[in-house]
Amino acid sequence: MNPRARLWLVVLGGGGLAALLVAACLRLPAFGGPWHPYGDRAVRAALARHIANTIASVNFDQRAFDTMGEMTILFAAVLGCVVLLRQARDEHRDPPEPCEVAAPVRRYALVVLPIALVTGLYVIAHGQLSPGGGFQGGVVAATALHLMYLGADYAALERIRPVEAFEIGDALSASAYLVLGFAGVLAGGAFLANTLLPYGTFNTLSSGGTVPLLNAAIGMEVASAVVVLLARFLDQAVEIEEGSGS
Amino acid sequence: MHRLLPLLPAVPLLGAGLLVAGGRHLPRPVAEAFGCLAAATTAALAIVLLPHSSPALVEWVGGWFPKGGESVGIVLIGDGPSLGMAALVSLLTLAALAYSWHYFDEPPRGHAGTFPALILLFQGGMCGFAVAGDLFNAFVFFELMSAVAYALTGYRIDEAKAVQGALSFALVNSLGAYFMLMGIALLYARTGELAMAKIAEGLNAAAGHHGPDALTLTAFVLVLTGLLVKSAAVPFQFWLPDAHAVAPTPVCMLLSGVMVELGVYGVWRVYGTVFSGPGGLPAADVTRTLVVLGVLTGAVGAVMCWYQRHIKRLLAFSTIAHTGLFLIAVGVLKAEADDGAALYILGHAGVKAALFACAGILLDRYGTVDEFSLHGRARHLRGVGATFAVAGLALAGLPPFGTGLGKAVSEEAVGAPLTVVYVAASALTGAAVLRVAARVFLGFGPRPEEREGEEREEDKTSGADEEPETRQRLVRVPRTMGTVPAVLLAAALAVGVVPGFAGLVGHAVDEAGTWGVFSSVHWTATGVLLDLLSTLLAVGLALVAVTRPGLLSAPEWALPLRRLQSGHVGDYVAWLLVGTTLLGALALPAVLR
Repeated sequence: MNPRARLWLVVLGGGGLAALLVAACLRLPAFGGPWHPYGDRAVRAALARHIANTIASVNFDQRAFDTMGEMTILFAAVLGCVVLLRQARDEHRDPPEPCEVAAPVRRYALVVLPIALVTGLYVIAHGQLSPGGGFQGGVVAATALHLMYLGADYAALERIRPVEAFEIGDALSASAYLVLGFAGVLAGGAFLANTLLPYGTFNTLSSGGTVPLLNAAIGMEVASAVVVLLARFLDQAVEIEEGSGS
Repeated sequence: MHRLLPLLPAVPLLGAGLLVAGGRHLPRPVAEAFGCLAAATTAALAIVLLPHSSPALVEWVGGWFPKGGESVGIVLIGDGPSLGMAALVSLLTLAALAYSWHYFDEPPRGHAGTFPALILLFQGGMCGFAVAGDLFNAFVFFELMSAVAYALTGYRIDEAKAVQGALSFALVNSLGAYFMLMGIALLYARTGELAMAKIAEGLNAAAGHHGPDALTLTAFVLVLTGLLVKSAAVPFQFWLPDAHAVAPTPVCMLLSGVMVELGVYGVWRVYGTVFSGPGGLPAADVTRTLVVLGVLTGAVGAVMCWYQRHIKRLLAFSTIAHTGLFLIAVGVLKAEADDGAALYILGHAGVKAALFACAGILLDRYGTVDEFSLHGRARHLRGVGATFAVAGLALAGLPPFGTGLGKAVSEEAVGAPLTVVYVAASALTGAAVLRVAARVFLGFGPRPEEREGEEREEDKTSGADEEPETRQRLVRVPRTMGTVPAVLLAAALAVGVVPGFAGLVGHAVDEAGTWGVFSSVHWTATGVLLDLLSTLLAVGLALVAVTRPGLLSAPEWALPLRRLQSGHVGDYVAWLLVGTTLLGALALPAVLR
């Protein structure tokens, strides 16, 4: 199809879609109303199980099955990347050259790395108490490691993140989430039932039954997944070169 | 028993996790046996649950049973159709794993567990989608099966075509999924609910006596867009042939055999549960929308199928044609048409997977899936040839195959004018397969000549010079690769002949449906005659095409249709937008009353 015909199709289709969306948006409930059917129920359910952060309660208790699916999507996407970004037949690996980094950048990266890492772990650990949780903290922790790439070079990064270990960690933490789900069934209850552990004291690290455990599994899974994902893309950018090599 | 419903997705997902964690140092047969075990366990679970599905099993995951009619949890539904789809998914996954047993090329660096793990993730996503009773949860599993399918399609990264096909697949399907998510957001804004049955209650309460409004219509169109992209309805179908032609054969068996059909199942489930009440869309408008799209899909798929010489593309277009037929049956909104669609899907899954399995053998044996260059070369593959030809007859609707029964029951329900589409589409797709069988396995007719002069559009997708999927070209067909298609074909036959099976399927579908009637499903004289008619037409067309190729060569009017399949992903996205608008226009009278 020539670009002109394609443009006409986009105008026609996009116009129709825009009309539908505008018509629908005019019928949406007004902003800031007092009617929150799901929100009210979710907060009540969260408080009943001593979980201070209602969002963590929705993610890891009330709708923990959705989170299982979402975690698996990330796991599948990472596995897919490992497969698709592997070294092709007509490519070879060149070890990257060591390179000089400006001293201030180097000092900054090395100082901030442990702070960022601890921040990530803190955000994971306090998932059921304050905003954040496994998904967010996992990304922070994983990116912290990559300050090594900015502060030193690719070889240094490769030393502190053995990709194989992180791939296994990714799979094991995903499996751990599923095993916690199975534990509910084995204990005679429902899949992913939050009835195995005491709910603890409201607003403490150990409150919320299985929520902290599921949250920790997600944190480990996301951190490992992001490390592996970035490693695959960095490999493509830094190490893997076209041509079958010398 | 309802407690076991969440395990249908969880067992294969856990299997995949363990395979990736431990598969690195496992020998390949152990990793593959573990994959088969996980798939088989899930299949057994679905089959054990099936007899308990009347009345439907209902599970609130995490034990969030509704209190005072309200729940914050996720509901799973285990009725006949959902458990049946989960069983079909799992059995076909097992067949695909058995087919790839030991002979399918693995990626380098010794990740023996990776391929079976991806297949298990695919199975988990499809099973989760099948049993979902919550619209957002259905979306999550819909995304899971999509994400895995993209990776599996592009699995053979050394071929540019595989990467290109996976990219169009990913872009078009992701866009469809976002539309679906927007639709779910609109429904949530209106009702504050995510469970399908509760959304329907909310829509009915909000609509009162006025019927649906623009928001309901838009939500319906957006959710349907996502599902119809997955089921490759015209004009959302362009991604499918590009993806199916390049995906590894075991993956094609799953994509064509059940993933596309899950889109149709989703349309049935979502319309029946969410939009069939007084606050949803009126039946007449839904019928108009789905039947128009179904007829277009059947016609485009069948015509394009006939003019392919790349065998995997040909099979991909025949899947499009048959999805059109399923959509028509679901669209007429009658109990017995639903029964027909269910039986047709069961029969089609076996037949189409068997055909892809045979095409895979040709690819691995000769390094080509081009009908022209394979002419007469596969004469000595008698078993494979016989399976391929019989599957072609079954595709055309030969009684007593399950495809024939499903087609006959659907035809009876949809009425005379639409029956023409059923006979024509099944005859044409069956004829295309029989033509290939006659040329490739028997060497009938003159050897088709390459045209002189410049390369034409269609020759770019000839299927010549493909890379085999095995490490080197096969000299002898491994026993697993030869047995799997025969078993699949036998299963498709069993759907039609095992006494009482069709009745059971029909009863389960009617019970889960919203029509409140039970129709009896059985072979009728008219149905058998129509099936024989389409089979004879298919044989006749194939004979003419083989002996007198000039008579049935592509006419001028078919060429623009072929050119639409341009491979340019921008075109496909433009068509997706047009399709959404078309859906809106077809269903528009619902809000004008």
